[in-house]
Amino acid sequence: MIDRQCDPNLRLRMDTKKRSTLLTIGAILAGYTALRTVPSLLPERLELVPLDTPIGFRKYVAGETSGGFDPFVGLGNVDSAEATARKAAALKRVSEDICGALYGGLETTASKIPMASFSDYYCPFCRVQTKRLADMSQEMDDEVVVAWHELPLLGDSSNLAAKAALAAKRQGAYVAFHERLMKSPFQATPEYLRRLSDDLGVDGTQLVADMESAEIAQELENSAALARVFAFVGTPALVIGRTVVQGQISDKMIGQIVELEREEGWGVVCVSV
Amino acid sequence: MSVAASTDTYENTAISARLISVENGVATNSGTLSLGLDIKLAEGWKAYWRSPGEVGLPPEISWDGSTNLATAQILWPAPERFTAFGIENFGYNKRVVLPIQAVLETAGQAVELQAGVTLLTCSTVCVPHDFNLALTIPAGAGIDAASAALISEFAERVPLGPDAADIEVETAVIADGALYVTARSANAFVNPDVFPEMGPTFTFGKPDIRTNSAGTELWAKLPLLASEEQLPLLQVTVTDGSRAVTAMPEWSNTVPDAPFELVANLPDLAQILAIAAFAFLGGLILNVMPCVLPVLSIKLTSVLNHGDKPSHEVRNGFLMSALGVLVFMWVLSAGILVLQSVGITVGWGLQFQNPVFLTIMFLVLTVFAANLFGIFEISLPSGLQSRLARSSVRDGYIGDFATGAFAAVLATPCSAPFLGTAVAFALSGRPIDVIIVFTALGLGLSLPYLLFAWKPGMVRLLPKPGRWMLVVKWVLAGLLAGTAIWLLWVLMGVSGVRVAVSVLVLAVLFVLFATIRLPGRYTRTAALAAVAVLSLALPGTLTPPPTIKEIGQDWVTFDRSEIPRLISQGQTVFVDVTADWCLTCKANKTLVLDRVPVVDRLRDEKVVAMQADWTRPNPDISRYLEAHNRFGIPFNIVYGPNAPDGIILSEVLTSDAVLNALDAAALATDK
Repeated sequence: MIDRQCDPNLRLRMDTKKRSTLLTIGAILAGYTALRTVPSLLPERLELVPLDTPIGFRKYVAGETSGGFDPFVGLGNVDSAEATARKAAALKRVSEDICGALYGGLETTASKIPMASFSDYYCPFCRVQTKRLADMSQEMDDEVVVAWHELPLLGDSSNLAAKAALAAKRQGAYVAFHERLMKSPFQATPEYLRRLSDDLGVDGTQLVADMESAEIAQELENSAALARVFAFVGTPALVIGRTVVQGQISDKMIGQIVELEREEGWGVVCVSV
Repeated sequence: MSVAASTDTYENTAISARLISVENGVATNSGTLSLGLDIKLAEGWKAYWRSPGEVGLPPEISWDGSTNLATAQILWPAPERFTAFGIENFGYNKRVVLPIQAVLETAGQAVELQAGVTLLTCSTVCVPHDFNLALTIPAGAGIDAASAALISEFAERVPLGPDAADIEVETAVIADGALYVTARSANAFVNPDVFPEMGPTFTFGKPDIRTNSAGTELWAKLPLLASEEQLPLLQVTVTDGSRAVTAMPEWSNTVPDAPFELVANLPDLAQILAIAAFAFLGGLILNVMPCVLPVLSIKLTSVLNHGDKPSHEVRNGFLMSALGVLVFMWVLSAGILVLQSVGITVGWGLQFQNPVFLTIMFLVLTVFAANLFGIFEISLPSGLQSRLARSSVRDGYIGDFATGAFAAVLATPCSAPFLGTAVAFALSGRPIDVIIVFTALGLGLSLPYLLFAWKPGMVRLLPKPGRWMLVVKWVLAGLLAGTAIWLLWVLMGVSGVRVAVSVLVLAVLFVLFATIRLPGRYTRTAALAAVAVLSLALPGTLTPPPTIKEIGQDWVTFDRSEIPRLISQGQTVFVDVTADWCLTCKANKTLVLDRVPVVDRLRDEKVVAMQADWTRPNPDISRYLEAHNRFGIPFNIVYGPNAPDGIILSEVLTSDAVLNALDAAALATDK
């Protein structure tokens, strides 16, 4: 056995007093590391909390809460009496058929889970989420399908970009439109829209006409009303089946929620769909 | 009368915001105010700069409904760069105060401020905020010291104009789908970043920023993500630690070469080899440390005494031991990489200008030097030691492997000074550096095993343990102490004498606590931890604001009694009463006083430029202002033979006004 004392001449003493220096330094370092690392090392947990309203829906609780906000503040929204009335009407319309408003027009089946994506052009993370959901719906063609909503919370330009995106959606170019916007930031000018339409291969005249159409105005009102119903505080927001997600979420977690929705049968809340 | 110069706080999960004012009251004749929008962001939340980057929105303030407010201009502190999911954003985290320079319609009268703030904040979700902050500032006097300090702190971070900054933006050119910017500075760049602004239709990707080996020249290439054919004017902000400049360079046609290899980002091969060589040497020296050499000798003797083993088995055994040492080192480097990824180094910038880093290094070195000098000893718990020792005498390759690994662990009482130092330095390196350094260290430490594996006969060359090892130990201790002193000296330059002395005292305390016996089992641990934490907190809190208060070399310190004497000698005297928190004063200085033609005129030998700094209360200056029926600043006045009582300038200066006053005050022949 190796002698514990390294060298008899030096007599490395092992009394309790001396040894704790190393331990102290180690403990300070280890404690700090643990504090910083441990939370991120814990596996993400799928924690769902039922929502009071709308009944049947539930919320994915991420690590941090997104509560504590005045729900749904838009920038620069000073409402006229007429606008208030239209908002109320939209809220009523949407409340009567939440699933229709969320997933209207999607071809869903019991095994094909619908997702409703809410984004805003000026929100950095929306860009990422739109791209990922688009990829996901393409790869898992049989399993998920996405309904694209625009939730322009960030002022006038945000509003115009949303209208253009929805107009592009009518010509099947919603995702392409958003990808194109990364190459040249949105401008509310006729030349810009024409150039963009050419690039996307959509009908520019139709696009501009659609942007100002009553349908798109109503679609935006519906999305805003949905945001109010679900008490979204910001963007991006996502509804998967009957699970509400606020903010950025990993692909893996989306996958788990999709799986859960499939097992549990998301359609229970959407009898009318 | 005292009124808190701040609004109520608007608060939610992401932010808390309020409007603050330096002035508690609008002083008589005072026509400007220094305000600030104080935004605290919760962990993980970010707000945006005036140019938010690829997407995002800058904060906006509408002053509709305010009374007696003519204009209010936001001064934007230099931003930070955030990269998330491949999106480049510029903005602020934790806390930002946007200094606001307000000009009143009627000087000396009460102001009612109505600030309608719109602001986008993002964490993993983007939440817009829209709120009103109302603040009434009555006529009166008084400075709110806390607000003044806060606004000054952030006003310091507002990039300077090209004339006042020590960073010169040289060229800008767009070519091959990228924007190239070059800049130079006499003071070497440390942690530079480049923020171009070309309107919303131009966006940029992650920059490639390089500096030359002296660090005085900067070259940046920013890929264009979105652009138009028509080139707008370029405004570019270059930041470097606490200094920043915003300039509008002319477009140039020639693409600047990247004459420098990636000096700042990638140490070249030779450098890596040099570092590795030192680490290797360090590892080799570890072998003769008092704790290691005996372990080595004992192991070797025991192996060689079993002469019946086939030689290839002996050889493989030594190789396994060497591997054991290496694995220990790799575990250590993995630990460091984890620490790094947790973000311990994030925001350290260049370490030798960072007081916290300097303090940590100084403490580590002092403690280890003290340890090597034998003032106290670092040791593993004896239980662990004997357990390790027992398990390493097992037979077979696993036993040999364990010998190597445990020799490394057992050696920690002696090698800790070097490993600890290496760890601390490695924390600031790139992952590849960390791995290279520790692998080299491990190779050095395991060299004896490798040599004996190659030629077992070399065992005879192994020096015998003895007193000479003490000499080695003392020499090394001296080296560590020397490095510690050097670090302290650097710290003194960065944070001032006060911090350096405090850190030194705390380091001595730490060593004392480690040495003497204290009652109670945990007292010592607690005392050591307290000292360590205290000394880490110290430089952070004591360092800013920078103690070096530069008064430009063209300016003399204000001395009221000197003025009549200077005038009698035919001189013209320009007095500028200013303060760090006074935003209008700063604007005056940058836009007028530091610029041609005024700056040339102030340098004239017939003109004396005096600066009175009112950042901290100063009764002399207060009385001087009162004498001119002023209670607030900016205050600028020109005296001369033709104007012995002085010509008071308006608060917001113009070049013409300053030059005219200087002309009027001077004797006619001096013009």
